[in-house]
Amino acid sequence: MRNNLNRFRAFWRHFPAAGAINLALIILCILLIWELISSTIDNPSRYLPSPILVALSSVDMIYKGLLPSYFGDTLIRLITGSSIGLALGIPFGLIIGINRTSADIFYPVMNFFQSVSGIAIFPIVVIWWGNSDTTVLVVILYTSFFPIAFTVLSGVREVPMQYIHAARTMGATRFQVIRDVLLPGSMPHIATGSRLSIGFAWRAVIAGEMLAGREGLGWMIFTAQDADKTSEVILGMVMIGVSWIVLDHYLLRPLEADTIERWGLVQR
Amino acid sequence: MPAKLVVTDLTHHYPDEYTGESVHALEKINLEVNEGELVTVVGPSGCGKSTLLNILAGLLPYREGNASMDGVKIQGPSSERGVVFQEQAILPWRSVAKNIGHGLELKGVPRGEREKRVSEFIKLVGLVGFEDKFPHELSGGMKQRCAVARTLCADPAVMLMDEPFAAVDAQTRITLQEELNRIAIATKKTILFITHSVDEAAFLGDRCFVFTARPGRLREIVNIDIPREKRIWADMNNDPRFIEARDKIMRLVREEVLVSNA
Ligand SMILES: Nc1ncnc2c1ncn2[C@@H]1O[C@H](COP(=O)(O)OP(=O)(O)O)[C@@H](O)[C@H]1O
Ligand SMILES: [Mg+2]
Repeated sequence: MRNNLNRFRAFWRHFPAAGAINLALIILCILLIWELISSTIDNPSRYLPSPILVALSSVDMIYKGLLPSYFGDTLIRLITGSSIGLALGIPFGLIIGINRTSADIFYPVMNFFQSVSGIAIFPIVVIWWGNSDTTVLVVILYTSFFPIAFTVLSGVREVPMQYIHAARTMGATRFQVIRDVLLPGSMPHIATGSRLSIGFAWRAVIAGEMLAGREGLGWMIFTAQDADKTSEVILGMVMIGVSWIVLDHYLLRPLEADTIERWGLVQR
Repeated sequence: MPAKLVVTDLTHHYPDEYTGESVHALEKINLEVNEGELVTVVGPSGCGKSTLLNILAGLLPYREGNASMDGVKIQGPSSERGVVFQEQAILPWRSVAKNIGHGLELKGVPRGEREKRVSEFIKLVGLVGFEDKFPHELSGGMKQRCAVARTLCADPAVMLMDEPFAAVDAQTRITLQEELNRIAIATKKTILFITHSVDEAAFLGDRCFVFTARPGRLREIVNIDIPREKRIWADMNNDPRFIEARDKIMRLVREEVLVSNA
């Protein structure tokens, strides 16, 4: 009996679609519980509309073209803001990781700003740029800059001295040491830092849209609440969570698998 | 002709920023390594062998005494002096072939030429079939072969080796020692080889420098007059010249270890 169970488990693990089916089962369970709660409370359409209602509202919003447009706006802001944040944060972290003097100057400054969250700088950014797209972008950029800069900084310092020595005794210049040793050697940290940065940026874009009133997913759930459209609020939340998982799975994970896992720098 | 590497009155102290005391690592070292010679360095652990190697590599700045190559003071690393470290020095993010070709890449040698030279050295160290593997997929012995090939491929005039075979198993070590001997015959490189194994020092060295306990001084130079072609473990173990040299080195090292433990 036990034996058969184990055999079934082994078979199941190697079944090609096992992962997808497992995930589908988990989602189905969550939907069932959700449906169950929704059907037992009073006034579900205000407090917790059933999954079917949420799905219907999504059909409605897709039909009107609103959902794709909001989703696109949010995604473009996220991608623009966090790419600029990463493009600035990675070299910045590298430089202060390598150079003591610049670390002495910039580290306290970075520490100061890191404690002032993206939401806390929002008011001043609104004063400067008004309720504009620029405002939202600046907040995303600001939010994504610090996690990556800090992780790259410590990554650079953790690259074993031996690797640097080896390159230098083969005649590597300063630039070559950075390109061939410090940058790839910090890849595990760059990967972790990027994930943190993009994760924070994803939250910042939602908050930014709500506060600045720019159309997008954040704005959608904010205004839907005003209009008492709970199903749209939930739809927006689901969209936010699902797109993060998709982004993580199809963009960040393959990037890691191709670099740090291939090089044996992390355990699979 | 003056020697390839010349060290005169080299003294080194490591400052300790926390306690203010300093560690006296080397005391008035005088030695010479001739062109095409393979010298081994032995001495109790902590006697300053790696310190000497790092100074010769140009990785450690020094103030007292002098170290020079071809009559020029050593003041920084150079691709003329290649180093093979004990472990953890081939880059995990480069394949075997890319690690071996790294030195040529840094010098700007064009790709075609580079690949030709790399494949020669891959053959020389017996890593054929592993070109595209990454270091974490190799055994300890293969990693060290890769490290040796990387240094050789950059074609330095002098090779500095810091206990390169210490971390591999005994069987592999014997093979690696015989391979290095073949390489020394084939390339006629000037090699300074640090080891803590007396057998290894006597097997590989034309001469063996025995260091005293810390602060390291040159205690004695033991000559090992055996032609390179005769250096095969199966024969060496019965060669009276090898046995004599090994026993002499062993006796000297023992005395120094006793001093350093006292
Ligand atoms: N970077 C360093 N800072 C301070 N002391 C050091 C440093 N490197 C080595 N030492 C000390 O110098 C002495 C010689 O070290 P080392 O040259 O590594 O010895 P060996 O290679 O012969 O074992 C040791 O006592 C060691 O603790
Ligand atoms: Mg040492």
